Amino acid sequence: MSGDNERYEQLREIIAEVLEIETDELTDTGDFAEEYQADSLRAIEILARIDKEFKVEIPQSELPELRNLKATYDAVARHAGWQD
Amino acid sequence: MNAAEIRAALPQRHPLLLVDRVTSLEPGVAIETVKAITATEPCYAHLGDDATVEDYAYPASLLIESFGQSAALLWLDGSAPSHRLTDDALLLFVGAREYTVEGRAYPGDVVRHVVRLERVVADTAFATGESWAGERRIATVGSLIAARRPRATVAEPAPGPTGTGADRTIPANTSAQGGRHVR
Repeated sequence: MSGDNERYEQLREIIAEVLEIETDELTDTGDFAEEYQADSLRAIEILARIDKEFKVEIPQSELPELRNLKATYDAVARHAGWQD
Repeated sequence: MNAAEIRAALPQRHPLLLVDRVTSLEPGVAIETVKAITATEPCYAHLGDDATVEDYAYPASLLIESFGQSAALLWLDGSAPSHRLTDDALLLFVGAREYTVEGRAYPGDVVRHVVRLERVVADTAFATGESWAGERRIATVGSLIAARRPRATVAEPAPGPTGTGADRTIPANTSAQGGRHVR
């Protein structure tokens, strides 16, 4: 579990950096677009950063799913084959 | 790739076409370009007789633009012919992250950009690399982001600064192409 937690927090840091907010401002379910004024380019950047940091490729078609931290983590975990 | 070929591949024009020559190209992977800096650059036109050598330090904004154009040459050359830049598409500088200025270039220097293409997602390219003046590394680029968008979907640039103010992000309004106003 601690490994999952660590990855979750790493993802929080990555996304907070892209959204240009503090990590403690980024909640699990806060909507990137509505809560943090992210546009479509930010979502693309998050996807690219996940690829770079976790070596996990999320297909472009799943961009709309990357709407909050939890949903993004679930997408990464699914493509990485991480166990719950 | 010579000046004429570069001009054919990029939409930028004098005085903002900031790549002189491509010295090596591995399509879709890496590129090396050079930009020679002279005292006749337009950015020095306003300098008076009392200008110091530091006043001749080549501006970081133009160095980033030159790096970005190098990245665009790499990206567009690696695209399928149908994906090359057309009149219907605009090339946008989205931003740069973890851009570190380590030194300066001066008139007489030949700046060499070493650029690697990391990822292309949804017509948005991510590049990384360094800029050198001779044996001196003058900048490292964590991530430079550029986007190609249909002209019709890009709004006119809004007046005033559009940067969001984070320290490590270069505001997109430094771009000659007008910043990130993609709908």
